[in-house]
Amino acid sequence: MAIIAGCFILCIWLVGIPLLTGAVPAFFTERRKHSLSFMWTSGYILSWALFQLVTVPLVLLHVSQGFKLAVKLFAGLSLALAAVGAFLLLRYGKKKSPHLSLIKGESDRGRLHRIYWVIFLVLAALQLALAVGMTYQDGDDAYYVAISTLTESSNTLYELMPYSMGATGLDMRHGLAPFPVWIAFLARISGLPAVSVAHVAVPLALIPTTYMIFYQIGGQLFDKKKERLPLFLCFTAILVIFGNYSLYTAENFMLARSRQGKSALGCIVIPMVLLLFFLILDRAEKGQKDQWMLWLLLGAAVTAACLCTTLGTMLMCLLLGVTGLCSALAYRRLGLAVKTALCCAPALVYAALYFVVE
Amino acid sequence: MWRLITGSFQNFMGTGLIMGWYLLTLVYLWFTEKDRRRRVLLLYVPLAVLALYFNPLFARLVYGAVGDEIYYRILWLLPVTIVVAYGTACVYGRIKSRKKYWFAALSAVLVMVSGSCVYCSPHFHRAENLYHMPQAVVDICDAIQVEGREVMAVFPKEMLSLVRQYTPLVCMPYGREMLVSRWGADNPLYDAMEAEVLDMNVILPLAKTYSSHFVIVPEGKETVGNVEDYGFVLVDRIDGYVIYQDTGVYIGL
Repeated sequence: MAIIAGCFILCIWLVGIPLLTGAVPAFFTERRKHSLSFMWTSGYILSWALFQLVTVPLVLLHVSQGFKLAVKLFAGLSLALAAVGAFLLLRYGKKKSPHLSLIKGESDRGRLHRIYWVIFLVLAALQLALAVGMTYQDGDDAYYVAISTLTESSNTLYELMPYSMGATGLDMRHGLAPFPVWIAFLARISGLPAVSVAHVAVPLALIPTTYMIFYQIGGQLFDKKKERLPLFLCFTAILVIFGNYSLYTAENFMLARSRQGKSALGCIVIPMVLLLFFLILDRAEKGQKDQWMLWLLLGAAVTAACLCTTLGTMLMCLLLGVTGLCSALAYRRLGLAVKTALCCAPALVYAALYFVVE
Repeated sequence: MWRLITGSFQNFMGTGLIMGWYLLTLVYLWFTEKDRRRRVLLLYVPLAVLALYFNPLFARLVYGAVGDEIYYRILWLLPVTIVVAYGTACVYGRIKSRKKYWFAALSAVLVMVSGSCVYCSPHFHRAENLYHMPQAVVDICDAIQVEGREVMAVFPKEMLSLVRQYTPLVCMPYGREMLVSRWGADNPLYDAMEAEVLDMNVILPLAKTYSSHFVIVPEGKETVGNVEDYGFVLVDRIDGYVIYQDTGVYIGL
């Protein structure tokens, strides 16, 4: 009974809360063009950014029972944000987004179109089934999953040695990227073991999140040729499944190490940044001005990258720097580079913190 | 520096075929893609990233900041999967006749042959339980842990990475650091536990120095020495492992 209740609570926090949180940015962007997939993915980015902002100060300040406080703060803030999203959905959802659906705008385009969708959904479902039925033992789990387990049981933040025993000095390198603490939060809130949440529940949530980002990117790429979208998704699924051409690819991390922050960075945050730039440049081309929510989401994505891994600071600055510069040159708008640079601020702050404290 | 950069790139691209398809798709898109947004995000940005990646000055900066082991992660900024899938769908769209279905099937086969199935990796195993831990680890930890306190146990190397994922109540005198040779960790107890023949006259006194409550050894391994001489007794055999407990160390609350 406790397990069923725990799974239900996990569903709320891994599905319901991100969806409702994502309703807030969805409300402030072009609602007719956005779907549950945009709400889901932007909800995760906002949640992760919020978690980073809540947890890192508690890590740095060595707060006693810091994890307990982090759980209360994050849960409270998340529920408040989700409540705002729920209000916006209820108040404006039916009126402004009459076609709210997961696969928005997909009318019947023939039998082959449906066959490609079935193939993609079968491949995605296969990956989810194998995420539960198979296990990949990675040496780094001895750190990250152990941190989740220790954090959940001890209420401390990066004060215990995960490999063997005893207390340790504050581990700054990992403490600034507390993704395992997010997993510990899910374990605490659901009452399920952190090891099961890490190895089973988190992949079940994050693998679909990646494909929802691919779906939205595909929607941007095939804006006028939507019949190619399911074929595009089939090939993304095949490339992911056959992405083990080296141990270092993001695709390998996505299926084998979904519970680790670095996988979330490579498979969710980086593609989400690409999607956000598609949306931003789309509006730039059309001369639309109401982009502030997209820039805010970009800043949240940078913050979320810092949650995933300390290397996220450098990679985000590099990605935003290059993309901002290329966009500014291609569109001849200095404003694009300036705004992109401002979005790097969270990464620069965390990078500075890292060097100061180290 | 150049050798480090190219070595890192070669490690990342593995067989090189998928990366080859990616670069080929970039060339195709360079000549066919007219949309400015897509050119910026799928062509100019990745090419700029590649240019930076192969720049020795940039590499020196990054190596200095983060070390050489993770330089390859810059290549995660390249949207390989998205670009190859997009290029394939574009070519598919240009073929008007039924040949496009053969093209789609051939492309899928090419990708499968060029890549490598993640699930065929020797590191993937069937999960034995919902913890995704070997059942032996779960059973042994459940047998030795005491609610409300930590216990110290010495484990064989195949369990060192797993125990603390499952439970925080079981501590170990050494952990994963023994398995990563470049970390240079050294422990005579680990060496004794991983010897071909387990000499209890060496292992058990060393275990006592860590106040170890338990020593767990594989059942099939040859042992020498009498465990009772050191105050240890055999308490259980679980899933191919033997558990010895030190009767001289208090284990209550």
